[in-house]
Amino acid sequence: MTSISPAPDLSWTRKLSRPEDLAAYRNQLIAEQHPDATRILVCCGTGCKALGALHLLAAMKQAVADANLDVKVAPLVKRTGCHSFCSRGPMLAIQPQDIFYQKLKPSDAAEIVQETIIGGKLIPRFLYKPPGAKQPIEKRSEIPFFAAQTRVVLERVGQIDPFDIRDAIAWGAYSGLAKVLTEMQPKEVIEEMKISKLRGRGGAGFPAGLKWESCARQPGRHYVICNGDEGDPGAFMDASLMEGDPHAVLEGMAIAAYAIGSDRGFLYVRMEYPLAVQTLSNAIRQAEDLGLLGQNILGTGFNFKVSVSTGAGAFVCGESSALMSSLEGKVGRPRPKYIRSTEKGFRDSPSNLNNVETYANVPKIILNGGAWYASMGTERSSGTKVFSLTGNVNNVGLIEVPMGTSLRHIVYDIGGGIPNRKELKAVQTGGPSGGCIPIPKKFLDINVGFGKLAEIGSIMGSGGMIVMDENTCMVEVSRYFIHFLVEESCGQCTPCREGLTQMEDILTRITRGEGRDGDIELLEEIGNFTNSFSLCGLGTSAANPVLSTIRYFREEYEEHIRDRKCKAGVCKALYHLEILPDVCTGCGVCKKRCPAKAVTGEKKEPHLIHQELCIKCMECYRNCKFDAIAIR
Amino acid sequence: MKIIMDGKEVAAEYGQTIIEVARKNGIYIPTLCHVPGLEPAAMCRICTVELTEHRRTRLVTSCNYPLRQDAEIQTDTPRLRGGRKLIIELLATRCPDRQVLKELGERYGADLHRFPADDKDCIMCGLCARVCERVGANVLTLSGRGVEITVSTFMGRVATHCIGCGACAIICPVNAIRIEDHDGYRSVILKGKEASRIPLRSCTSCGRPFGPVIDLAPVLERAGEPGVPAFHTSVCPSCSRRNHAKRILERHFEPYDTAIQAFVDEGRRF
Repeated sequence: MTSISPAPDLSWTRKLSRPEDLAAYRNQLIAEQHPDATRILVCCGTGCKALGALHLLAAMKQAVADANLDVKVAPLVKRTGCHSFCSRGPMLAIQPQDIFYQKLKPSDAAEIVQETIIGGKLIPRFLYKPPGAKQPIEKRSEIPFFAAQTRVVLERVGQIDPFDIRDAIAWGAYSGLAKVLTEMQPKEVIEEMKISKLRGRGGAGFPAGLKWESCARQPGRHYVICNGDEGDPGAFMDASLMEGDPHAVLEGMAIAAYAIGSDRGFLYVRMEYPLAVQTLSNAIRQAEDLGLLGQNILGTGFNFKVSVSTGAGAFVCGESSALMSSLEGKVGRPRPKYIRSTEKGFRDSPSNLNNVETYANVPKIILNGGAWYASMGTERSSGTKVFSLTGNVNNVGLIEVPMGTSLRHIVYDIGGGIPNRKELKAVQTGGPSGGCIPIPKKFLDINVGFGKLAEIGSIMGSGGMIVMDENTCMVEVSRYFIHFLVEESCGQCTPCREGLTQMEDILTRITRGEGRDGDIELLEEIGNFTNSFSLCGLGTSAANPVLSTIRYFREEYEEHIRDRKCKAGVCKALYHLEILPDVCTGCGVCKKRCPAKAVTGEKKEPHLIHQELCIKCMECYRNCKFDAIAIR
Repeated sequence: MKIIMDGKEVAAEYGQTIIEVARKNGIYIPTLCHVPGLEPAAMCRICTVELTEHRRTRLVTSCNYPLRQDAEIQTDTPRLRGGRKLIIELLATRCPDRQVLKELGERYGADLHRFPADDKDCIMCGLCARVCERVGANVLTLSGRGVEITVSTFMGRVATHCIGCGACAIICPVNAIRIEDHDGYRSVILKGKEASRIPLRSCTSCGRPFGPVIDLAPVLERAGEPGVPAFHTSVCPSCSRRNHAKRILERHFEPYDTAIQAFVDEGRRF
């Protein structure tokens, strides 16, 4: 395959040496783009890339070239970042016709060009059809998944080519930085941030303006650090932002640097995000070529150099002090210090560390004003939040909603509900540090925000949201998260290292059917202890998955221990499968599917599972069309 | 700065840690990983106390919390006792039947056999690694992550740049490190396994081994002294003393052979 969308060489371009030059350059770029031109935006985010989006992109380019179109302006096939509807990839959008095609193959390219681009006809089989609906939705903007979102941070993601700074500038990148450099004093920038009430998007929710202010107040050389070490299982918000719109992050960092008086920044990105490292490194080079980063930015005398630093795969390096240790080249372990990093952080200098999404919000706040930002969301949690919606939900993907949106809206309107007629059981938020919120009971209408989620024993965290249906065993879920944290604990402090190990042992025992009386109380005792005695943020929130599941699903733990039953059908030692004779039609699907040959029965007669042969692979359960197989 | 500790006002300097103030005022706070003079690591967490600043109460470790404003500190509440008990019980799984844990266990009513034991011979206080770094040898370090974190030499190899000072063996609260001299070598035995091996120098006078052959540069650099002559000698301290005595006698008391002999014998006793 030929190399696709190589980054354009901009080193020949004239440096933008005055703030006015940026606006002029932007106008020039917009004028160059023909307003009538058809733009074919191919999603090349990590998810779609894994499904072969680059092949699709190459095929589309080839098809457009082969078609020899007789039009004024040739359609532009563009590589973009994540379109966020990840369960439907590979996909593309055609603008301005507002068409959305999904689940494509490279071989479909010629047909799309012939039928849609030339013929102007829609191809129904590529259109999105909501689960249960008969008719596909023709317009992209009418698809509930897109229509129900408010995209502020993600505005440019999926619209621009992340490898071409000109595209980003045409969409307004760096105009916030230019505004700050020409019109605002550092103090005013901080003031604007405080008005916006933007709270850190990494999880703790510390007001960004206050953090900047306390950092700016410290003497000495200042550093600006961006935390791109997103490691929660099932979270990919920061990845998509860095891959789809690297300039938003860089611009936010540059504005922060101006506000706190820094000239050096670092982006700490995990090595498992190779595409993000690539887009960011490329974006930095192009921005430096244009004089938007580096020495004497836009001729104003403001210097800001950024470099990308990659992590070595430790989850704990997402913790701020561990991240700074790692950045210094030391072992990535949290530092036992009670001094804030805004005072003594990286290289013992005042350092301002924010999350990727926090920085990406900054240019919008500068351009539209803090009051505009604060008007979105709720009183205590302003603005919008990006969530990665995963698990047992129809529309898996990246969503952005105003703070305070209800879980019902997220799961049902945007997420499209639960697949396979299953019941919604819980929503896990905040990754391994978060908790499980039981849904049918009372919390479906809870508004997602920092305070509300903490009240009910979970956290918003960085924005991972895992939807769980009735076939999820909460004991197994907490065992999974504790196991993850045992592996990822740095091992320095006793509560986290030893406490979590003991909790994992107990939970493993329970899922194997060897639970004992008093295990739940013991889990609570150790959990409360690790949460209050540990050294860093990882330890002090590590027991949340266990404590929240015990709080809301205690009866499930009790069933595991007392009755030796796992109703969800997950813990293999604690259930068996039975065929209900009055429901079974004897169709024979289960018999054919069973890899262990444990099902017997004549055609049109109720079948039988031989327990001694059954390996509980659930193949029969999943494939029975009549729900005749029961977990007992 | 007004500091109240366990209900009584105590004197404290700005930036002093809680444990320094407590020790000075005779207030007991248990520690397992803290030694004055070494950078606090706050790893064992047993020194956790309740701190109230600006009417906000939280748990902090006393070994590394610097007092910088008015504060009220409780060093022994039921919550802290409960946490300390659990810390001891959890550490006992790594190291059952060690004196230091038994004593603390008795104090806090811990059941040292509450959790299944998995003898790792080490309570992971990290003191050996920190003292080794402080001495300047950098032989022992904490390697691995999570449950697998362990005290180890570089890549687990037998280290040859150890200076055999024995600080690790002395500082280890559970006696997991031993120093053994044998066959002209000094070995540091870490959890039953040889961690470093350095040759011993033999006295050119009496032939007995008297100290490891080491590169002293890092030590002297740390000590900030240009050089300690005794380290460069080729005779053992007792022979050196005897020779010295002999030289003095020869110079001042030459005629008196018997007196020399008596002085020499005297010298040999040391």
